[in-house]
Amino acid sequence: MRLKDFTSNLKRSDPQTFRRLSLIQTMEITIKFTINGKIVKVEVPPHWTLLRLLREKLGLTGTKEGCGIGECGACTVVMDGRPINACLILAPKAEGRSVETVEGLGDQVFLHPLQQSFIDHGAVQCGFCTPGILMSAKTLLDGNPHPTKEEVKGAISGHLCRCTGYQQIVEAIEDTGKKRKVIR
Amino acid sequence: MRRQVGANIPKVDGLEKVLGEVRYGADLPAKEPLCLKVVRSPKSHAKIVRIEMDEALRIPGVERVFTAKDIPGKNLVGTITKDQPILCSDRVRYIGDPVALVAAKTSEAAEAAANKVVVVYEDLPALNHPEEALKLNGPLIHDKGNLLFEFHVIKGDVQKGLRESHLIIEKTYQTTWVDHAYLEPDAGISFLDEKERVTVVCPTQNVHYDQKEVASVLGLSLDQVRIIQCATGGGFGGRLDITIQCLLALAVFHLKKPVKIVYSREEVFQVTSKRHPLTIRYKSGVKEDGTLIAVEVEILGDTGAYASYGPTVCIRSAVHATGPYLIPNVKVRSRMVYTNNSWSGAMRGFGVPQMAFAHESQMDLLAQALKIDPLEFRLKNCLRNGSETATGQTLMTSVGIGETLRKVKECRDKANHSREDPKRPFIKRGVGVGSMWYGIGNTGIANPSTAQMEIDPNGEVRLYIGVADIGQGSDTVLLQIASEGLGIPLKEIRVIRADTALTTDAGATSASRQTYISGNAILDAINYLKQEAIKEAGPLLNMDEKDLFYEEGKVKARTCLTTSLPVREVARRSGKVIKGEGSFDPETTRLDSKTGQGAPYATYAFATHLAEVEVDTETGKVRVNRVVASHDVGRAIHPKNVIGQITGGVAMGMGFALMEEYVPGGTTSFVNYLIPTSKDVPEVIPILVEENEPSGPFGAKGVGEPALIPCAPAILNAITDAIGERIYHLPANLERVLETVRKKKAGNSNH
Repeated sequence: MRLKDFTSNLKRSDPQTFRRLSLIQTMEITIKFTINGKIVKVEVPPHWTLLRLLREKLGLTGTKEGCGIGECGACTVVMDGRPINACLILAPKAEGRSVETVEGLGDQVFLHPLQQSFIDHGAVQCGFCTPGILMSAKTLLDGNPHPTKEEVKGAISGHLCRCTGYQQIVEAIEDTGKKRKVIR
Repeated sequence: MRRQVGANIPKVDGLEKVLGEVRYGADLPAKEPLCLKVVRSPKSHAKIVRIEMDEALRIPGVERVFTAKDIPGKNLVGTITKDQPILCSDRVRYIGDPVALVAAKTSEAAEAAANKVVVVYEDLPALNHPEEALKLNGPLIHDKGNLLFEFHVIKGDVQKGLRESHLIIEKTYQTTWVDHAYLEPDAGISFLDEKERVTVVCPTQNVHYDQKEVASVLGLSLDQVRIIQCATGGGFGGRLDITIQCLLALAVFHLKKPVKIVYSREEVFQVTSKRHPLTIRYKSGVKEDGTLIAVEVEILGDTGAYASYGPTVCIRSAVHATGPYLIPNVKVRSRMVYTNNSWSGAMRGFGVPQMAFAHESQMDLLAQALKIDPLEFRLKNCLRNGSETATGQTLMTSVGIGETLRKVKECRDKANHSREDPKRPFIKRGVGVGSMWYGIGNTGIANPSTAQMEIDPNGEVRLYIGVADIGQGSDTVLLQIASEGLGIPLKEIRVIRADTALTTDAGATSASRQTYISGNAILDAINYLKQEAIKEAGPLLNMDEKDLFYEEGKVKARTCLTTSLPVREVARRSGKVIKGEGSFDPETTRLDSKTGQGAPYATYAFATHLAEVEVDTETGKVRVNRVVASHDVGRAIHPKNVIGQITGGVAMGMGFALMEEYVPGGTTSFVNYLIPTSKDVPEVIPILVEENEPSGPFGAKGVGEPALIPCAPAILNAITDAIGERIYHLPANLERVLETVRKKKAGNSNH
């Protein structure tokens, strides 16, 4: 049964439950989590995705929505050290977790070496896939400071990029690994 | 000053992009914008009987539901033929046609209301094949008939040429719909700016075209409409047409409040333009010594429900039908037909990638039949400086095809290509070549660009340019040209770009034209600026204008080496803005309407790719291991950007060759539309052949589309080399490869 049919049936058969369910649509819950090293407490409708929370409530628009169903990787953020598609995670799931986005990676003055390497290698064209790929690349390098080309390709295989053909991106990540002795 | 041209400087938008600070359509801030949602047709061809919106309007938060009746101006848009409604009034022509537009306080309310708008349709017979659409007395998709456009290229006497041929090969090639799959779904905002102009901020490839269409739809004058391009997450031709611009503007026009629209990926797949499927019947005749003597080509294209760039693709595919070869007798007939399929438009190459698949397959078939090496065969027949093309244009300079072939040949001859894998007997390996030519800029019509450069008394240097950078890096390249031309460091030049209120028309970011055409417009502006600077410097230096010249950012005296004044000092001391306005329109001639004869482009780019593949004959999986991509781009202004275009073009060409197949009404997501990932793409070895183009800015031509075009033919030829049987239908997906392998096996066992 489709959700639409389910709710209209419910409205007729069990108006009380229907009203309670409708309430869920409008109510908000409070969640507390760490975003880019800072603890935040935020009210969010429970059906929102983490992606929507980041973009619409926290103003962190560096994380992109390319498909909304976990196919393109543009919304990749790091949660407790693992890259995840923020479009597939409900916001309340972030409760008590630590989330990192591109905004926490580096700034104008102190670029993350990956960011510098992306610029140096010409790995950025339209840039829409860039934040997500940077987050996956960071997770890779955190666990494997000197990845091989094949390991890099594997780590970013969940990301779609339509501009670059990935070659400069792979080179940029590989080169960051080669140049760095210690990964922050 | 360090030379700018040829330098791999950091991309000017690179920093804000890696920081995640750059704002694309969905990221744009607006003050409590109303959310828009489009109600779309589930039918491929139907009459609209009525639209009921009472229930939709009752949903809390809904402000308004618009239909065609709310459009104050002309409810038709289109770059060449205006036949596409913003909101359909009486009839829908494809699955996804827009019927109504909801504006609501939240995206949830807009979505809910869009679901509650009831549209009553009456089915009309749907036409899904071009041949079917061409039948006499059948249903008409548009009143003027289903044949949108027809174009011919006729040179010499093709029948005589075919009679004199030692060998004739005739085959039919089929391509399918391809989606641009730019990663950023269309999204934007609109509001009334401080001058009460309807202002649309969105991703686009041509702000000035958008401005004209929005003004026409709203019945406003151009100065009442302002289009600003925001950061654009790819284009590839898909953002040359109107997508969200008129919808946003219509809502603001009526509601006078900020509005926002964000397409879902499903919507992008469903309602934006596609690559035209072409059916190409190709007949080639060759002399015994391997000289091409005649080609006869019949092209039938499916433009779908609306014209969009259908006529352009119709013409360009005909003009490029021969490939980069010298052929004395040519006859091409190209037709573009309306159907009730998704509408096709501009996509990276405008029909040339489809044609290259056909002519390069023919070249290999001929070479094989004549037992000539395919590269030698191409070298023997390719265009040279002084050659005449099929449209009768003599190419005097910068014909680099031969050099791209020689470079690829060196690579091939050096490599040791083993055909078998002893450990995996089911793997077959092959090598293939594909070549192409591509005319830079629009075909046989004016396509000017304009630019302004100024230096104000405070010393600020500004470039005003209407070019939309869609990620390929035109901002960087155009700034390099400006910096080199002016002799002022790039970091000290500010660019004001792609805003109709501040910049003038530079034409579309399409046809690989911006480096060449807008680059030249900037140099023209700089020339005027230099003259202006010399004029103003005369009194300041107490010298006659005639004795002054401009060099390296300074006005200098001819007679005295030590007398000079930096141009910014000239502006400061004279208290005037030193300014230059420039323009450039490439020298072309209109093509004859009957024979297609003329000089449609001022210059052409050339390229050859070599692909190495392995085919798994048990699964049909093709792995492309390596592509050597040799490109004549003229002078490379920014070699790293050029290489980025090439690696990206190879990936897209590989998708076109092996996996991408859009199904009208069927494709909804990346789950059923596959594009190459990091694990699919081959290693790309780029080779830049820089044949100087005297008319180009510092010798440059273009690369955006050429990067893609030769890739698919090279891969298809390599697959043929591997399995010994040719595939004539793109994409060569698992099923088609397996079927071909089985056909080959069956054929062998019959002998």
